[in-house]
Amino acid sequence: MATVFKQQKSKQDKAEGVVAHTSEEKVFKNKQRVLLLSSRGINSRHRHLLTDLENLLPHGKKDAKLDSKSKLYIINELADLNNCNNCVFFEVRKRQDLYMWISKTPNGPSMKFHIQNIHTMEELKMTGNCLKGSRHILSFDKNFESSPHWQLMKELFTQVFGIPKTSRRIKPFIDHVISFSIVDNRVWFRNYQITEKPLEHRSATDTTDLTLVEIGPRFVMNPIRTFDGSFGGQTAFENPEFVSPNVARSNIKNAKAGRYKSRMD
Amino acid sequence: IDILTEQRVTINNEPALKRLREQIALPTNIPWSETQSVTSTQAVSVADPDDDLNREVAFYNQALEAAVLGRERIRKEGGVFERPGDYFAEMIKSDEHMAKIRQRLLDENASIQASE
Repeated sequence: MATVFKQQKSKQDKAEGVVAHTSEEKVFKNKQRVLLLSSRGINSRHRHLLTDLENLLPHGKKDAKLDSKSKLYIINELADLNNCNNCVFFEVRKRQDLYMWISKTPNGPSMKFHIQNIHTMEELKMTGNCLKGSRHILSFDKNFESSPHWQLMKELFTQVFGIPKTSRRIKPFIDHVISFSIVDNRVWFRNYQITEKPLEHRSATDTTDLTLVEIGPRFVMNPIRTFDGSFGGQTAFENPEFVSPNVARSNIKNAKAGRYKSRMD
Repeated sequence: IDILTEQRVTINNEPALKRLREQIALPTNIPWSETQSVTSTQAVSVADPDDDLNREVAFYNQALEAAVLGRERIRKEGGVFERPGDYFAEMIKSDEHMAKIRQRLLDENASIQASE
């Protein structure tokens, strides 16, 4: 009934010369929601990292562990069920190797990373603190402009790790920075609290009144592959320098075996 | 024995990567405060990634630059940057956790003084 009414109304408006508000005038709204989930076999350090990310991203939705490691495409449906258009998936292999998938569901692209050097927020080394749910500033290294593959990664990170203005549960102040830097062909993730010197302790011309204190977590993301689709599809980029942790481990073992053999001869 | 080194065919399909980026990119004419992302003016270059101190200093400087630029932009767009002193809300680390961190720092200082 309502549609009939609308049709009649718009016809009438046209006749009277009232310009209808078209979709072109609609204000753009950055709508992002992130589904956070892990596979089975996750260990405590990885689990803490996942909860840290959940705390940092108020537009995230954490879901239960996923049973299957082979049929990853079902995550697309899971994301859809949770009204999410991004996904961060922790795939844990052998209870020790953590792979992180970052994907734009349901149509892609997606990227797979190997996560190394994890320090979670639970650790006592990092002394910073910030509001839960305050929007952060994303800081990208200039190296992200250097090649199409890094540019795509930057765009993906901006959407997954950037908190939309309209997200629920956000607080109106900005007190931390998340930085992504490229060193050694890997992405290093850092999270800093911004502290300002109180007004009475600084001169009016002083611009160096900001200091940073690290909050955590910190980790290193080693890119493996970029896929055309979400959790699958054609490979658009493959990191030639990536060495699988299995190969790295077996090399170490072989080297040790070689030492033993030479001693026996 | 000859060890056959595996020849890996690496893929770097630049046109596809560009197309994918255009496919998901946010419009460019949106206000900065929608994404709050800052790209550093200088590329981070660390000679030795195992050198913890220099590496962390480089990251710190990159983030600091972003914080300064971000504050400028937020103020220009009429947003609020700093939290007023009387605004209390849930923090990301609980009070107990912060107390633990403080205790650890105190213990460290005490042990340093004791050894001197």
